[in-house]
Amino acid sequence: MEAVSVRVPLHSPYPQHSDTLEEACAENFRAMAATLCFALSRLPADGRPAVVCMTAAQTHEYGRIFGRGTVWTRSFPLLLVEPRKAIEALWAAEQALRSGAVAGVAVAVDDLTLTQTRRLELAARQGLASAMTVLTRPGGLTAARRRWRIRPAPSAPNPFDTRAPGSLRIEAELVRSRTEPPALFMLEQDDETHRLRLADRLAGHGLVEAGRTVAAA
Amino acid sequence: MRLRALNDAARRLGLHREQADADARAIAPALLSAPAEPARELKALRALAAWCGCWSPTVALDLSPGGFEGLFLDITGVDHLFGGEDAMLAAMRRRLKAAGISCRVALAPTPGAAWAMARWSGKETSRLDSAGLREGLAPLPLAALRLDEANLRLARLFGLRRIGDLYALPRSGLARRFRDGDGLGLVRRLDQALGLAEEPLTPVRPAADYRAVKLFAEPVLDMAGIEARLPALAAKLAAQLERDGRGAARLRLTGFRSIGTTATLEVRIGTPHRQTEIWLRLLREKGLDRLDPGFGFDALALSADRTAPVIPIQPALEPDSARPADALSVAELADRLAARLGEAAVTMPVPVPSWVPERSERRVPAQDVRPVPAGRPRPLLMLDPPEPVEVMAELPDSPPARFRWRRVLRHVARAEGPERLEPEWWQIQRRPVPEQAESVESGMDIFPLKNQGLQEATCENQGRIKRSDRTRDYYLVEDENGARYWLFREGLYDRREEKEPVPSWWMHGLFP
Repeated sequence: MEAVSVRVPLHSPYPQHSDTLEEACAENFRAMAATLCFALSRLPADGRPAVVCMTAAQTHEYGRIFGRGTVWTRSFPLLLVEPRKAIEALWAAEQALRSGAVAGVAVAVDDLTLTQTRRLELAARQGLASAMTVLTRPGGLTAARRRWRIRPAPSAPNPFDTRAPGSLRIEAELVRSRTEPPALFMLEQDDETHRLRLADRLAGHGLVEAGRTVAAA
Repeated sequence: MRLRALNDAARRLGLHREQADADARAIAPALLSAPAEPARELKALRALAAWCGCWSPTVALDLSPGGFEGLFLDITGVDHLFGGEDAMLAAMRRRLKAAGISCRVALAPTPGAAWAMARWSGKETSRLDSAGLREGLAPLPLAALRLDEANLRLARLFGLRRIGDLYALPRSGLARRFRDGDGLGLVRRLDQALGLAEEPLTPVRPAADYRAVKLFAEPVLDMAGIEARLPALAAKLAAQLERDGRGAARLRLTGFRSIGTTATLEVRIGTPHRQTEIWLRLLREKGLDRLDPGFGFDALALSADRTAPVIPIQPALEPDSARPADALSVAELADRLAARLGEAAVTMPVPVPSWVPERSERRVPAQDVRPVPAGRPRPLLMLDPPEPVEVMAELPDSPPARFRWRRVLRHVARAEGPERLEPEWWQIQRRPVPEQAESVESGMDIFPLKNQGLQEATCENQGRIKRSDRTRDYYLVEDENGARYWLFREGLYDRREEKEPVPSWWMHGLFP
């Protein structure tokens, strides 16, 4: 794995609430599932559905979203939009964000211009929603409030079988943010809250995910 | 086993419907037969019926026993469009023949008489008019009256062979002696054939109940003209729907061109409603401007092909602070997206009770769906179709040690599995009876069909085994970099001796 280039400040907290527009960039092709999972888990869970826009070419390359695999990202119900062209995906994302009918939109595109990100950001603001752009390579100028780099990490030890993978883990690197310093977070699937929780800052359970009750931390 | 349908060659050999398969094989040892598939026959007949909509708005299926192979077309008031009755029958035969469908057409004042003439007159094209109805039917055998086997046998005992034999007999006696399960005795069938009793046809595609039509004195040529007239049309349709407390779930705009052809535009609406401005916006987004008027539309019709009851909901007093005041509903959003991107592009995943992963989920148009119950871990991204992988694994069922997928070799650090998924035997397609008895035996062992008594099912003598018909072992593996994959092996090594192909490995999904 690549060496991580950022110094990790010990006290930087994981931003629990997503901003209007954030960018999640998959480090490589294999990280696409982890990046989509991260993007979905960052969308607010306020009862409104989430939207995933992926072009047909992307679903062919990375696979289609499988509803049964999204249960623990808590973004439900899911509206899947699968247009032919990237520009249609962006149009659909903008319409969905502006409508106010959805909590957030994860849109997977290969390239984004500054104007396009600005439009998404404005639409998200108008519809009181969050947008996550899922990129496969780091983009240029963007209106995104936070930029993340995502890569899968070896999973947690499985308490019942040492040879089997345990709770899956994702490494999320906050590359750039308007309000926080850069940081690196290890996120782990939480079977109880069906969300990602922070796994590396403290020993044991790590920081507690918002809304979770823990008897012994 | 009995014969259900035959071709001309078989009929020439003297075989007939309802004959026992063994008898038929004794007469014609070279007989080729395949198990009947009534469901597929019905589907094909429905498709043909839909196509026959080009001849008549009322097309009904002939569901009388003995194979789904007949259609009724009500051509009352239609024939002049095709140049008269004779020209219409000839054109029907010509076009069906061009499509590779052998047919016999008959025209008669009643469905019963048309049925009899098509099947028993022995002519490719036959016609009866009201005046010649009795005489025309008289020489036909009694089977032409759509009687059941018991009644036919009884009639043979009485020495009744032709329909004409019945005309002279007293009706009370016939009614008493010839009855069948539905109470549709011989008299009823005779009356239906002679037009003395009603026989309504159930059209495959019923006419729209809710429809607003606007005729123009002058053909409308431009889009602005059409758009200007649409609101009034929509209001007319909405008023009809409002009267019955219903909303439109599927809208169809039909433009009737002055040269006799039509242009249509269809929109699906997720949550039925009757808000005309939303209808118009959907029609516009669906491509109203691409509706080609040709030399102008003489008339426009807006119909609600599918409707559903609409229950008015009281709006909340306090606006919801979490969403904007003018928020659309999810269904409205989905309708807008689908109108532009196509219905197949905007979907929601709903769970289906099946353990085969690709069958366990269906994409449906956006609607209210309930959360999927969490079960075994499933990947976030599914590859459709699965992609082949080269795998190094210990026999017979250890997880992979390393594998090559998309030309990259990956070493497995940790693995979980197998999760064994057996094929769903009730889904396995029935295939023709095999020639050799021993291959039936081995086929039975692969598919647990023995208890179901499905004698016809087998696999390998038909060549390829479908993927869904083989046992799969799923493994969740993690490579050295932490990427997680969902692989499966199709087939089992210890079933090799049963002529099943060599087990193969496939990549099916990616975990985060």
